[in-house]
This record gives sequence, C-alpha cells and structure tokens, in this order.
Amino acid sequence: MNTQDATKWIAELFQEPSASVTPDTPRDAVAAWDSLGELTLMADMDEKFGIVLTDTQLKAMHRVDDILQVLRDQGKLTD
Amino acid sequence: MATTSTRAAAIRGITSCVPARSFDNLNESTGFEKEEVEKVVRLAGVKTRRLATDNECSSDLCLAAARDVLGSLGWEPESVDALIMVTQSPDYFLPSTACLIHRDLRLADTCAAFDVGLGCSGYTYGLWLAAMMLQGSGFRRILLLHGETPARFASHSDRAVALLFGDAGSATALEAGGGDERRRWWFALHTDGAGYDDLIIEGGGFRDRFPADPQKYFVHMNGTGIFNFTIKRVPPLIESTLAAAGVGKDDVDYFIFHQSNLFIMRHLAKKCGLPEARIPFTIGEFGSTGGPSVPLTIAKGNLSRPADRPLQLLLLAYGVGLSWGSALVDLPQAAVLNHVQLPAADAASGGTTV
Repeated sequence: MNTQDATKWIAELFQEPSASVTPDTPRDAVAAWDSLGELTLMADMDEKFGIVLTDTQLKAMHRVDDILQVLRDQGKLTD
Repeated sequence: MATTSTRAAAIRGITSCVPARSFDNLNESTGFEKEEVEKVVRLAGVKTRRLATDNECSSDLCLAAARDVLGSLGWEPESVDALIMVTQSPDYFLPSTACLIHRDLRLADTCAAFDVGLGCSGYTYGLWLAAMMLQGSGFRRILLLHGETPARFASHSDRAVALLFGDAGSATALEAGGGDERRRWWFALHTDGAGYDDLIIEGGGFRDRFPADPQKYFVHMNGTGIFNFTIKRVPPLIESTLAAAGVGKDDVDYFIFHQSNLFIMRHLAKKCGLPEARIPFTIGEFGSTGGPSVPLTIAKGNLSRPADRPLQLLLLAYGVGLSWGSALVDLPQAAVLNHVQLPAADAASGGTTV
C-alpha cells in the first residue's frame, strides 16, 4: 500500500470523501475521528496491518499524517 | 503460571438475576444528542440495560439468584459448605458481602463465606477457586455468586460509560466430583497491574477517602487503553488455554465472552477465527454488566444443549485490573439454567438514578 492508497483508506474509515482528506488534514476536521473513531481505527490497523496501537500513539495523533507515520515506521507503506 | 487444570467440578445450576427496571438507550432520555446515542448503540451494541435502583445492590441480585438456584436443585441451606462472593460493588467496605448473604440464606455456621475483589475477570477466577476447594477434602457443595452494579458507579455525563453499563447478579451451584475422575477443567489466569488506572474509581477508598472532585466517585474508563489490552491479551488467552487442554476450537461448543462491547467482541472473534454462531451475545439486552455477564450469557444466551453430552464452554473474561482469565469447563446436560429478575421497586423504596 502506498501513501495515496493509505490516505484513501483513512478517508473511508472515517466516512469522509477521499478528496477532502490529505496527510495534512487535522484531526478536528474529521468529524468521525472521535473517541469512537479511535476504536474503529485501532480495529482496522490491527486487522489490515497487524498493528496494535497504544494509547500513547493514539494521543499523539493530531493529523492524518500521524496515522501514516505509524504505517511508515512499521514498514507498511511502499513509497 | 500460564495455565492450570483442576479435577472437574460439577455445575449443577446457574441462575442469573437482573433488576426490574429496563432502560432503552434509544428511546429514553440520556442527556446526549440522538445521533451520538445512535452511534454508541451501533458500536457498543447496547440497546437496553437493566438498572438497579438506588437501594438495590449486588447482594440483592445475587441473593435472589442464590435462592432460585437452591430452590431449583432442592439444596437445603445447611448443605452448602462454602459461599464465594465475587464483586467490586459490595454493600459495605466491611463486613464482607458474603457474610450478609450468608445471613439471608440462613446458611450453617460451618459454611465458609468470603468475598473476592475482582471485576470483569471474576467468574473465571471464582470457578477456579471453587474447583480447587472442591478437589480437596471437606467441601462438597459451593455457591459461587458474582454480582456487580456498574451502572450505579457510572457518571451519567460520561459518554464512555453512561450508555454501556447494566447491573446483574448470578449464582452458580457447584458440587464435587459427580462421575469421571479423569475429567479436567482448564484455566489461564493473568494480571497486568500496570494498567490499573485504565478502569478505576479513584475516590471513596482509603487512598482518597473524600475527594474534592465528585467525579472521582464515579468510574473512569480509558476506552482505547482497554481495547489495546483486549486485542493484545485475549487471542493468546484462547490459544494457550486450548493448547494446554489439547483441544481445538472445533471442540468448543460455545465461546462465552465477557460482554464488554459488541464491536470489541466481534473484532476478537474475527481476529481469532471464531464463528459468531458459537458466540452468544447478551449485551444488546442487558448492557455490559461486568464479570457477571459471563454467567448471565450462559443462562440467557440461548445455548443449544444436546441431550446426550455436556456442553464444552470456553469462558473468556477480561478487564479491570488489568486482569484476564479463561476457563474451559463442561456444562452437564442436567445443569439447571434459570434467569430471574428482582421485583419492581415501588416509589417509596427508591428510584433509579439515570
């Protein structure tokens, strides 16, 4: 998965139009990225990538690129 | 200790008990926006919950369940050798809630009675303890009670818990032996105290007896911390228990999950490759009732019970502590499963704070 596909996946996860989500999109611009959204993010990260997000990682996520960075750190992005 | 086994005890009966008051999350006033409530209900799966009144305690729920199971089995009170009460919502700091129930059931003064202070994982620990006692000499019949009133310690303004919790009690009647001495029960019991504050009531205990912040009298839950814990801990819990017992997933008739949250249970089922047809859910009707959700789900989970063999159940309990445990046990064909509810409270005996 490359960055573009991962960004699209994040948009779908939070039920946002793909075009409105970029790596720079801040968390508070994504309506569904609330405490319940965190649970769905955790579940999808586990299911798709085998990554179990910690509370510390979740608290440090303020924009879409912070999610992408976890994927980069775990070698899950191809670009 | 990773896993352990005991000689199998015989489960003679399980009765669960809930308060009369049913609360409909979607159609009654919760103080939250309708869309917000719908979202939580969709995710957590809690449509209705049973709420204790301000005068109903875990002891009342367990007492009603205990009376029912004793009556169903025709057990005389003096035949009960021990009463184990698992709860984190006791009537008093002291005496033990077990002593109050001992009084109300008119058990003999030769009966051992004590509390175990565990929550979500409590039923698996309680079964292990009872089985250990029954495989020694002296104890023949044990009543294992497990009751909680988490809705009473949830803040109604805290969205993380306000719509989630229900109250319930249970009584499990266990007897020594009962046949094949080679039968075993298998348990895995674990703890990670580093997560003690992921689910906590900070105030009211002796660490902070009279906190200035009234919110500290209510439970605080770190939902993502708890979810992280369950994703990490429950899959290996299942694998290690089955491996120790030398059985496969197909040998288990039902996987009885602590009814924590529908989304979490479904994620765990998928992750572990467990068919949902063998995972009963009661959270939609009763909410998350803490540890007693395990016996409640055995009693109310519409288990299909063949007439010619016992059911093999893998009980999975995890949460506050952090503490988690499993129990691979058999439920005999003759075991009586009942469900009762407390009588509706009249206005004079106290309403329900919602």
